[in-house]
Formats: sequence, C-alpha cells, structure tokens
Amino acid sequence: MRTLLKNGRILDPSQDLDIIGHLIIEDAQVAEFGPTVDMTDIDEVYDCTGMWITPGLVDPHVHLREPGQQHKETIVSGTQAAAAGGFTTVCCMPNTEPALDNPAIIDYILDKSASPEAGGVFVAPVGALTVDMKGEQLTDLSALKRAGIVAASDEGFPIQNSAMMQQAMEFCVQLDLPIMAHCEDLSLTKDASMNEGAVSAMLGLKGMPRSAEEIMVMRNCLLSLHTGCQLHIMRVSTWGAVEMIRQAKYLGAPVTCEICPMHFTFTDEAVGEFRTHFKITPPLRTQLDIDIVVQGLNDGTIDCISSDHSPHASHEVEVPFEEAPFGHAGLESTVGVTLTMLTHRGVLSPLETIRKLSTTPAKILRLEAGTLKPGETPVAQVTVIDPDCQWTFDRYKTFSKSKNSPFHGMTLRGKTMLTFCGSEIYRDALFPDARYKINE
Amino acid sequence: MPRNLLGIRHLTQDDIQELLSLSADLKLRIIEGREVPNLSKEVVGMLFFENSTRTRVSFEQAAHYLKMKTANFSAGTSSMSKGETLKDTILTLRYERLNGLVMRHRMSGSTALAARYFGGPVLNAGDGQHEHPTQALADALTMIERKGSIEGLQVAIVGDVEHSRVARSNAWLLSKLGAEVRFVGPRSLMPSHTQMLPGQVHYDLRSGIEGVDVIICLRLQKERMADGMLSSITEYAAMYQVNRESLRWAKRDCLVMHPGPINRGVEVDDVAADGERSVITSQIENGIFVRMASLYWVFTGDEKPSPPPVAKAKAPKAATKKVATGGKKK
Repeated sequence: MRTLLKNGRILDPSQDLDIIGHLIIEDAQVAEFGPTVDMTDIDEVYDCTGMWITPGLVDPHVHLREPGQQHKETIVSGTQAAAAGGFTTVCCMPNTEPALDNPAIIDYILDKSASPEAGGVFVAPVGALTVDMKGEQLTDLSALKRAGIVAASDEGFPIQNSAMMQQAMEFCVQLDLPIMAHCEDLSLTKDASMNEGAVSAMLGLKGMPRSAEEIMVMRNCLLSLHTGCQLHIMRVSTWGAVEMIRQAKYLGAPVTCEICPMHFTFTDEAVGEFRTHFKITPPLRTQLDIDIVVQGLNDGTIDCISSDHSPHASHEVEVPFEEAPFGHAGLESTVGVTLTMLTHRGVLSPLETIRKLSTTPAKILRLEAGTLKPGETPVAQVTVIDPDCQWTFDRYKTFSKSKNSPFHGMTLRGKTMLTFCGSEIYRDALFPDARYKINE
Repeated sequence: MPRNLLGIRHLTQDDIQELLSLSADLKLRIIEGREVPNLSKEVVGMLFFENSTRTRVSFEQAAHYLKMKTANFSAGTSSMSKGETLKDTILTLRYERLNGLVMRHRMSGSTALAARYFGGPVLNAGDGQHEHPTQALADALTMIERKGSIEGLQVAIVGDVEHSRVARSNAWLLSKLGAEVRFVGPRSLMPSHTQMLPGQVHYDLRSGIEGVDVIICLRLQKERMADGMLSSITEYAAMYQVNRESLRWAKRDCLVMHPGPINRGVEVDDVAADGERSVITSQIENGIFVRMASLYWVFTGDEKPSPPPVAKAKAPKAATKKVATGGKKK
C-alpha cells in the first residue's frame, strides 16, 4: 500500500523544513518526502494543494476520564476526538477514578487505547505523583514508569506541601521522569470560581487571585532549579507566570510550559451572564495577560500548546456557575483556534505553530513523535491541515462525548483534514468520500 | 422571552422608573383602601433555597394583596435534598404549571439559570452575592418619599460590600437614576477590583459619609471573622459603626437605612437605628409595595420589546404606569 500526499507544504520543525513537495506513506511508514518523489505504484492519492503536511500533532494535556468517569468521556471517544483534531499522540491525565496511581491501571489504559474500536492514536499516560492525588504519599513511580507513564502529575490537586514536592522532584530526577504541574495555591482559591477582577466583583463570584497561580509557579520553578528535576508547567494564564518562567529559564532551571487556546482567546469578560463553558482553572484573565502570553508564545517562553481537553457531561455544566466543574472539551477545536488566533495574526509562523503543537511537546515528554523523519517514529504519524479552510465550530458535531465547548459557533480558519497514524485514521468531510477511521 | 426581574444591572432607567411609579401607585391604593389589580389566575412558586424571613413574608404579603396563589417550596423538604439538580427542580415546577417563580439561592447567577429553563417570569429574591433587586427598589422608594428624587443624592453604602448583593443592586439602581454612590468599608471586605461597579471606594468611614444624604448600612456576617477577614467585632465597630458620633459627618437630614437583619452594636448603634433619621421600618413596609409592583410588572410584561424610550424621556411623568385593575392585560 503506497499513499501519496501530493503537492502540499511540508512543515517539519524537527528538521526546520518548510518546502512544497510530496510525501509517500508506504506500509505504515513515511517512505520519503521532498520536491520530487518516486510516484510509481501509488494506490491512493490525496491532493494536498494549499495544505500543510505536518508531523502528527502531540497533545501533552488531555483528560480521557477512563476509568471511572465514562459518562464524561471514554478512551474510545476521546481518542476518536484526538484523531479528528489531528493529534496522533495524547497524554492522558491521572485524575480518574481510581487515579492513575498503580501499574495495573496504566496497563488497562494502554490496552484499551490499542483496541480496534479506539481512535488509533497513541496514548501516553501521565501517572499520579501521590497516592490518590492526596499529596500525602508518593506513588511507586519506578513501577509506573516501567508500566509506561511518560510523566507524573497530581493535576488539579497540586501538592501544597513544599517538602513533599521537593521529595517528589528528587525521586523524579533519579527516574528521569518529568513532572507536570498545575500551579495553584489552594488556600487562595477556596470556593473561588473565576478570575479575581472587575468581572467577579460585578457578578458577586469569589475570585481566584493571580497570585494563587504565580506563587506556585515560582515555588515549583525554584524547586526545579535546585533539584534539577524537569518541570513542565501546565496551563499558564497570567503575565506574571510568564515572566517568572522566563526568569527560571534564564537561571537554567529545566522548566517548560504550555498554554491552552482558551487562555489566548478569551478574557474573564467572556463569562458574561454566568456561562459555565467559560469556567476553567486557572481562570480566564484579562487583556493584559493575553498580550503578554501571546508575546511569550512568540518569543518562545511558552513552549507548547495543549488542548487541555477536559470533557464534562451536560448535566454537570448546566448548574449554577459556582457548582460547575472546571474545563472544556478542546481536542477538536485546538488546531482551528490556534491558527485563527495566532498563526493568521502573525504571532507564530506556520513552522513555529507546528513546533508548538507537535515537535516540542514530543521532545519535552521524550515521545517517539513530532517528526516526519522516516524510521524515527514507530509508525507514520502525519497530519494534513488546511490552513485557510473557514468553518464554524459546532460542538454537536464532534466525536467527543462531551459538548461543553466555549468555541461553539465561532468561525475558525484552519482545519484538520487528514490524520495518519500508521494507516489513515481520520478524513474530513470536506474530502470526497469522507469517512472516519479505516481499519485495514 | 417572558419578562424577568433578575437584577437591576439589566434594567433600563425607564424600567426602574416604571417599577417605582407602579409601587407608589399601589401603595396609595392599599392605604386608601382602593382596588388593586387582581392576578388571581396566577400561581407563583416561592422557592427559598436559603433561609429568609422578611423577604419571604414580604413576597407572600405582596402576592396576597394581588390575590395570587402561592406554592411554597423549601429546600430542606424537597427533592433537592434527594440529589435533584436545580435544572430538574425548575423544569418540574414548570410542568407543575406554576406561572411564575420567586427564588432565592445561595449561588450567584442561579436565578438566571432558573429563568433559562422555567419559561415563565422569574423574580430574583437574592442570588448569592450577585443581586437583590426588590430590596434596592424598596430602598429607592423610601428615598424618593423622603427626598423627592434620587437624582443628585449622595449615598454611602457602608460595610461588607464584597459579600453583599444588596450593595450591588442598590449601586446599580442609584447610579442609573443619577445618584452618586460611595462604597465604604475595610479593604478586606471590599472587592479588589471595582472598576465595573458604579461607585467610588472609600476605606475611611469619615471621608466616606462626609456630606452624604443617605447611609445604607450593610449587615456584617459573623463568618467573616472565622475567615480571617476581620480581627474582631469590636475593632470593626470602632472603625465603621454608624452611630451618634459618625452621623455628625453626614448631612443633618441624612437618612439611615439597613436591609436587615440588624446587628445592633456592630454596624449601627441604637441612636442610628431607632433615631429620627432612621427609615428602616419604612424600608420594610415599602418592600411589600415594590414586590407587588414587581409581580405585577413581570406578569403583565409584554413579550414584545418595549417601545422606544423617546416619549418617556421627554416627560418623565408620562412614564407613570397607571395600574389596570381588570386583571391580566394581554
């Protein structure tokens, strides 16, 4: 089986490559690419004129909710959403029920994600840092690492005790395991549900001060600097956090960070009349924060973009704002929103966009992904994106079980057209003969 | 969309004027023993998810004068305690064919959620720390009776502004009708960002109430001490109590208001609460009439958008809506 992706713009940040050419996938591997390729014996041709041919996208921050919360999302529906979003590798977060704190559950996730019903993408589990994410006792990180975790994190229940965090970091240095940290001082955000600012004051909602995030960013950066533990900060939202990460990098701390599209698209004013789709942690901030965050993306302080896919069932979000859970479904809107808000506005070049969506997250988590080089990934991981496709995001037409998207109804420019992970796993409806997932 | 009363923030100046003149008209009718509108076909649900005595009684009384039937509902004995979501409770009441809802809930924005699913008029009787529109209307009616008009008044709202829905609703109403609002209180009980709230912030009682026409005292919740926002009641009282001494800084004919329940000796002393400048009892009484007006206003509201405000703006008197006594007009 030889598949030809014809006449596209090949963007491979791992080789700093930005050329017009063709790419051939043969026997589930990238065979060759370039301006001229061997076009004999082709079984299938896709005309990619005007489109980007990129390494499969990598999402460092996804909640698949399984086991225990299958009413929100399952590994099957979540990986299908990933494929439709252009992602060929997703890192799943440990805040499931039970938490991903022992090797048996990691095995379960890896088995489930490799099943034929699933979306066909790679799932890289992130293990819990402490048992049941209670922040009291470290998990058996070496066993978890052998089982296949790529990083450790307590996600939405960040370790508050600094001594505990330091211990965790020491262990992770020894195991060569990155720590992914959600940064929040919980004592400052008790009962709070949105950014502390003029909007929260007007709506009578308790606010999360920016200091709650920045204190923890600073603490974690300092601990990383002094222990040498690789630290990946999830979901940066304030200008202060960006400045602190910039400073930590300058000091030589092994720190990286990510941002999710919500935080460069909306301010806290989007909450409007208590709209729960806009409830996220850390919360939506102000225009000043967006300006500095965008600058941080542009200058490289912010390393990568994650979807922060946090699916919730409808009945969980149709409640008073303070009761609603944090987060939104993001896998299928991330490419469109990133291109619309950043690439087409000149913040990121096409090559940098793909670097932040694929090559850098793969590098941070040491995944065999994020490149088109033949043989460097287990199977061909290729995504085709039409950067100029105008479409309206409709949350009811997604593969995710969850419909809590703040981007519903937004006109986006840029869409995933094809996703290959070994074989073709997603083809957009705009292509003739559209279908979802082929199992050969 | 049915007409709702979810907050003062959403109302236009004309809406507020209309509600206030309706209230004054109804008050006169009740006092003179004349006929008031008959809404006997309407059944209104009283949903108090949070404890309330005065607001509940006041709404019950208002509904009684309008000959409406009320269906009572208390959170403790309802299916909410069996784990039903608010949305399902509201949908249930909708299909129980209730015509309207009066609702109080401890969460900000919960009445807006209820209005989305109920399909009929919803009146906010206090949602979290967001709004308490009928209290603001009662206060405004009291001010108009004593001062003639709201426009040009200087009003200080003193106390726990951050956690007060009364402060927010009053500030919106007063500023929309042309008064100058000051928020007065300690930094720990003041929102840290107030640029979207209509008022000037004063952290010092003296500068805050210097020369004002009206002081609205807010109730100080005892939980604030437990949360570490205040060191002691004594200290708070020493700094922010409206009393014989501090009243000297305000205008000589300054009104003292309080939405109740009062913590005597904390936010006000007896001289302020019971003295000749106190209008606290009028606030309570006027509460009934503004709630009558509110019920009447939402139940007879046009589904069409209201006519352009040009005619009303020219002659404010014309905005006075005479009550049709023949029941529901439609």
